[in-house]
Amino acid sequence: MKRREFVKAVGRSAGLAVGGDFLGLGSLAYRLPDRPTADSSLLIPMDDAQSDHLKAYGVAYRVIQAGGKAEWLLNYRGGSFLLPDAPAIRRDAALNGVAVEPVDGGRLSAVRGEIAGTNADTVPLEKAPKVAVYVPPNAQPWDDAVTMALQYAGIPFEKLWDPEVLGDGLRTYDWLHLHHEDFTGQYSKFFLIYTGQSWLAEMVRFNDAARRRLGFASVPEMKKAVAGAIRAYVDRGGFLFAMCTATETIDLALAAHDVDAAASFADGTPMDPAADSKLDWSRTFAFSGAHLEPDPQVASFSDIDGHQVNAGPRRQPLGAFKVFNFSAKIDPVPTMLVQNHREVIPDFYGLTTSFVRERLKSGVTILADEEGAPWVKYVHGDLGKGTWTFFGGHDPEDPQHQIGDPPTDLSLHPHSPGYRLILNNVLFPAAKKRELKT
Amino acid sequence: MRRSDGARLALLLTLLHPVLPGGGGVAAAQAISQGFELERQGRVEQAAGLYKTVLRGDPTNIPALLGLERVLPSLGRLGELLPLVQQALASDTGAAVRGLAVRTFTALEENDSVAALVRRWSAAHPGDASAWREWAIALEDRQRFEDARAVLLEGRQALGMGSALAVELGELEQRVGDWRAAALAWAMAATELRQLPNAVNQLEDAPADQRELVIRTLTVPGASIPARRIAAELLVGWGQPGRGWETLSATLDPPTPETALALRRFAERASGASANVRRVRGLALVRLADLLPGQLAARMRVEAARALLDAGDRVAARVELAKLAGDPAAPPEVQALAQTALVEAALADGELDSAAGALARLESDDRTSSEERQRLRHELVAAWIRMGRFDRAEQALGADSSVEALALRGWVHLYQGELKAAVEAFRSAGPYAGDRDAATARTAMLALLEQIDAERSPELGAALQVLARGDSQAAVTALRRVAGKVGGGRPDVLLLAGRIAARVGGSQEGMALDLFEEVVRIGGTGAAAPAAELEWARLLLRQGKAADAVTHLEHLVLTYPTSAVVPEARRELERAKGAIPRS
Repeated sequence: MKRREFVKAVGRSAGLAVGGDFLGLGSLAYRLPDRPTADSSLLIPMDDAQSDHLKAYGVAYRVIQAGGKAEWLLNYRGGSFLLPDAPAIRRDAALNGVAVEPVDGGRLSAVRGEIAGTNADTVPLEKAPKVAVYVPPNAQPWDDAVTMALQYAGIPFEKLWDPEVLGDGLRTYDWLHLHHEDFTGQYSKFFLIYTGQSWLAEMVRFNDAARRRLGFASVPEMKKAVAGAIRAYVDRGGFLFAMCTATETIDLALAAHDVDAAASFADGTPMDPAADSKLDWSRTFAFSGAHLEPDPQVASFSDIDGHQVNAGPRRQPLGAFKVFNFSAKIDPVPTMLVQNHREVIPDFYGLTTSFVRERLKSGVTILADEEGAPWVKYVHGDLGKGTWTFFGGHDPEDPQHQIGDPPTDLSLHPHSPGYRLILNNVLFPAAKKRELKT
Repeated sequence: MRRSDGARLALLLTLLHPVLPGGGGVAAAQAISQGFELERQGRVEQAAGLYKTVLRGDPTNIPALLGLERVLPSLGRLGELLPLVQQALASDTGAAVRGLAVRTFTALEENDSVAALVRRWSAAHPGDASAWREWAIALEDRQRFEDARAVLLEGRQALGMGSALAVELGELEQRVGDWRAAALAWAMAATELRQLPNAVNQLEDAPADQRELVIRTLTVPGASIPARRIAAELLVGWGQPGRGWETLSATLDPPTPETALALRRFAERASGASANVRRVRGLALVRLADLLPGQLAARMRVEAARALLDAGDRVAARVELAKLAGDPAAPPEVQALAQTALVEAALADGELDSAAGALARLESDDRTSSEERQRLRHELVAAWIRMGRFDRAEQALGADSSVEALALRGWVHLYQGELKAAVEAFRSAGPYAGDRDAATARTAMLALLEQIDAERSPELGAALQVLARGDSQAAVTALRRVAGKVGGGRPDVLLLAGRIAARVGGSQEGMALDLFEEVVRIGGTGAAAPAAELEWARLLLRQGKAADAVTHLEHLVLTYPTSAVVPEARRELERAKGAIPRS
């Protein structure tokens, strides 16, 4: 089968990972008041009064998914949500253990007054974004922080992978998440370290099968094409959120469009010795001027990552990162992305944990960093008509994450500030577009 | 590089240059240290320059040569190391320089040079496997696994020993995922006794789908004893303790000096908590005790008996304990341990008169502590109570005024139907008497009794005593019968009956569902109704009726928002929806 035929055949085969009815979404399809009214509203506090911060995002998402209007009260009590008051919403919140506070007209006026007089603002949430998660077909659902967060919060998503991306399957989605995919096509450079492990063999088999079906000469070439398609998606107006290795490697794949930057185990030929000098950083999202890691046995891709968790003596210890306090009225976009009930959050490793400041392109907005360290943790920027956000690290509640570790059970971390940053990104595309200054 | 760093490095190099040739050992060491620091900072080019400067003064400086070996590949300049290595080889034929030369030649694919070097090295040190090992590892590092295997086999032939380089061969085969070949190599390596633990440690990493192949390879007819012992240990670790013991047993006769070690290792590997693992541990320790002399044998037999008891194999345990009791070589504390274990075994077998006799013998001397004797006495009393022999229980308690005794008397009152007296005794005993299970059982019973208005209820006491005796089905029937006679406590008694029926399972599950439904219907706003609905949902989940369970859990959360079981219900709800990962 030719590549195009294959793409056509499988391009629409992504499965629904979380069934809407099973999450009780059907039960929300009652008549909801259009928007919070002066008479009766529900406030979902997102400060320490909240009993389940993560599920609160799911409640807000389902309201807008059911056609209701919600407001995100930026910087008000940890980034609270204001929803219409309806029995179905109260029921959804109660079932999920989400604390809500009924707000009458008088109190709502007081809330709005406080927002007007402080560094806070309101953002209408009007359209539930359609969410896609880029993940190989054989991946465990628990091995990806975003998948876990979406599943726990009850936000539906669909899975897609290389055939769907290359088959223009991204066109129908508002939001795309990438996790620990290695877009350099080098299997996270585990190929030499974990030779003989069955999970690695399976990863290689899946990728190689996709490569052959899609008609690419090598897996690195296929991943470059996928990275290009994702870039085009953002350029057309998509929202991209990436974590862990995906952040660093998608930029490396884009920069290495015309150069062999992969080790011989991945494509049969050694990395071009002059690859560094041939990288084209004009194509990338966030980074420029990075140097590739030439040693195929070191599970590091470049000097973009500040922590170098698998690079022996280069490995840096974990600290804590601090989210910036933006002006809600002037910079609503970064303000949305950093809404939290904690300012300082313990850091966590990933194959890419952080981003060295010197490697960031000018114009990139730093959302969180470690004070005094040469790296940052959380960055955001625009590309064409779309936006992208990169968050370093693998799992906010498993700081030392190792292959084979048990999955994180988010019901034991309902207040996780790290996972809140992820969920901010999911709701961010729901915000009604307006003239933004950032 | 910042200008100041560059200036400092230039100054250091300038200073070093005249100093090093003069044997500046301290200066060379400082330079090496500085090189390490530069490497740590990622400034590998400067580090390389520094190491080369050291070598100009001392061509055989090993740290400098190794430093270059580390940094030059990342600069794509490994070729620069070749003349330096050849220069060093001319004046130093030590293992460090030769090893470096082998690695460098291999990395640069100087195949003829490396082969000649290794053969010269091997000829100069007959019987020393270093040269072959170094070469094979260097080839493996370059992913040249076939070549590495050929080198190891050539080395084995040159060394003239069948087991030579077997460890390296085992590691190589493991690395390429050929677990059959790895098993064969490790079996060969384990002919040296000290390699047995390494063989087990390495082979136990075999993926699940390769394990049977490994075991079959190690246990084919004619397989060596070390091979079969490796298999036995692997089987224990891979959850097949019975098969592991069978495999080991076949290697024990006639005993040799290694037999005791094999048994000891097997027993240590069998340290898991499952009954099957404990049983094979006990069996191995029994065989080990048979091989050991005097007091050592007695101690081992105690350990064996304990493992067998833990495994529930009381028949085998009591055989060993009886041997100990009649063993004059056993030290007093071992005999005491044996007698304690005999009491426990008799209690577990329900032979209470026998247990009482053994306990009486134990109390006639001071070989066990008073706390230990009291613990055994309380266990005997609890057993009498469960049997309904309250007279024997009171007799055994005597004048005991401990909180544990108070708690036990509470159970006597309860089963005699004296509910008020039972509540008072349980409260007086407090929450800390006995172990955690006993405290939990008492608290649960107090919660039940507090819902019941009557001060006496011989029927309820009798029903609960049936339950204590372990007759669950009869207990369900008795509790349902008595539920109508305990006033406001009816939902709680029915809830207890429902829980028991649900635990019994099978045909009793229908009964449990009916009981939970009844409790939810009549339970009003009390604690029993939400608890019953939670149990109802759990039973439905076990039956695979997730959608029905979700309905009940949602009803529970929404109807009884302040109930103490709501957090549990929410977690079950998550589980029912598949949102909690299975560990």
